[in-house]
Amino acid sequence: MSAAPGGRQGEPNDGAGRLFELPPELAIDTAIARRVIVDFVRNQLRQAGFSRGLLGLSGGIDSALVAFLTAEAIGPENLLCVLMPYRTSSPESVEHARLVIERLGCASDLVDISPMVDGYFGRDGQPGAAGVAEGEASALRRGNLMARERMCVLYDRSVVWGGLVVGTGNKTESLIGYTTLFGDSACAFNPIGDLYKSQVRQVAAAVGVPEAIIRKAPSADLWPGQTDEAEAGFSYPELDRLLFWMIDKRRTDEELLAMGFSGPTVERVKRLVATSEFKRQVPPVAKLGPRTTGVDYLYPRRRPGSARK
Amino acid sequence: MQPLRIALVQFAPRLGVLEENLARHRELLAEARAAGAGLVVFPELGLTGYQLQDLAAEVAMRKDDPRLLGLAAGTDGLSTVVSFVEEADDHRLFISAALLEDGEVRFVHRKLFLPTYGLFDERRFFAAGDRLRTVDSRLGVKLGIAICEDFWHLGVAETLALDGAQLLINVSSSPGRDLAAIHEVGLGTAVSWRTLMRTYAQLTTSFAVFCNRVGMDETISFWGGSEVIAPSGEALFTAPLFDEGLYTVDVELGDVRRERIGLPLLRDERPELHLRELRRILAHRTGLEIDEASEPTEGGEVGPPGAKAAGRRDRRP
Repeated sequence: MSAAPGGRQGEPNDGAGRLFELPPELAIDTAIARRVIVDFVRNQLRQAGFSRGLLGLSGGIDSALVAFLTAEAIGPENLLCVLMPYRTSSPESVEHARLVIERLGCASDLVDISPMVDGYFGRDGQPGAAGVAEGEASALRRGNLMARERMCVLYDRSVVWGGLVVGTGNKTESLIGYTTLFGDSACAFNPIGDLYKSQVRQVAAAVGVPEAIIRKAPSADLWPGQTDEAEAGFSYPELDRLLFWMIDKRRTDEELLAMGFSGPTVERVKRLVATSEFKRQVPPVAKLGPRTTGVDYLYPRRRPGSARK
Repeated sequence: MQPLRIALVQFAPRLGVLEENLARHRELLAEARAAGAGLVVFPELGLTGYQLQDLAAEVAMRKDDPRLLGLAAGTDGLSTVVSFVEEADDHRLFISAALLEDGEVRFVHRKLFLPTYGLFDERRFFAAGDRLRTVDSRLGVKLGIAICEDFWHLGVAETLALDGAQLLINVSSSPGRDLAAIHEVGLGTAVSWRTLMRTYAQLTTSFAVFCNRVGMDETISFWGGSEVIAPSGEALFTAPLFDEGLYTVDVELGDVRRERIGLPLLRDERPELHLRELRRILAHRTGLEIDEASEPTEGGEVGPPGAKAAGRRDRRP
């Protein structure tokens, strides 16, 4: 299932109009991407001694695609999708997540994280454990806590399900740091972390993720009406193109400007990438002993004997 | 001449599990023998897996290791190329490929070029080999054996051909990357390797055999796509991408003669010219004076203009 000819020209067409905008330089051979990712999921689980996986299914395209690919890799019966809405989450998110579950026929679980979040930040005039009244905590604090409560739920469910947590973050959000450390970025392995959002869309279309999910505006859904693109101030195709040329193709600032990217956008994206470096790396350890993990003690994660018995 | 049946073992070793990989080699060797193969080629580090890091020392074998000799013992009437981490007497570790024939370890090639850039970190864990030799095989032709990155350096295939190789073998653990829709096969790495192997076969008028592994080590996936290219540059066989399998290809070794008679590129090679110019380049790069006496003195002076060159000319008797 290669990219449709239309896809190569950046105009994937479903017959009823443009499904999404695909910059031509980001077009990939979706059959190869699918093959590599499906093998990757299967290998990661098998090498760790697991046959099952679980993930947080938000109703968005990233987790939907990972659910499709994981189901293909290990069978839907070995996949658990966990829906974790907050009371202000868009009802559409849960509907779309249900669409994926129905399509795949995998197990699912719904955990309302409202009591956990409200227990900390308060509700109905009652202060929570954080000692602030409802509405006093910033959107950033609330968003981060939601992401981390979801992480807690996933890792707790992983014990019961006997599977590993499969990551759902894409390359675009990772590079600009649009993630919560130890929150949505927490996982055992990430199958789509090297795909830009535009490429996620391309692969999603190829594997049959429902169109409604591909079409809608991406959102972290941390507050009503939030969209990634409004929050970031640029569109995904534009951001993906810039990151691709800046990072994958090592273009200098001058070259990027000559290509038509605006100076302020280049500056801003460069700053986002640099300031989020810490989110993409394992926390550093002060070097003291003869051999230090990550420095001069370098073993493959899946070394012999590392798998769960 | 009886056609030679080449078996390309495009398989996925298990990282760091030497015993299991040895057992798998024995099975696959038996399978290739049953299929009538005369030459069986396993991929780079097929006995150990690729992304070893600090495991390298733990899976290393000397070339007289009983486990390697045991594998060789099963090669009566067969030529087999296997690859492993070799520990030298002085405890340097090499990425090596051994030719096993008629029950013995006949030859060992140590990887010459260790990529240490991008996703590669080989120089950190391994020593680079420093000998490039062909080997006489029971097949009646000389073999030129190289490992992966060795073939990203132009001189290697040429030197092997000049040394008499008629069949070039490259064993690889090539990680797939540069995924795009614009390439002929959607994977930049595969396109590059196809270009390289066809070019080497055609320019050396030799058979070129490429055996690349599949499977995954950690985050990287190996893409397979093993090939056999005729001395004309024509692809005789291309294995599927990513699929594990033992693929057999029949070749007429006599095609080398036919090709070289019709297209005597190798006859017309000028190694003495290369050597002279390489000496000059090397002298320049290391800051040593050029031995002017070895340069042509008659007719068109090809040396660089300028005071330095003129000065040197003046010193001549």
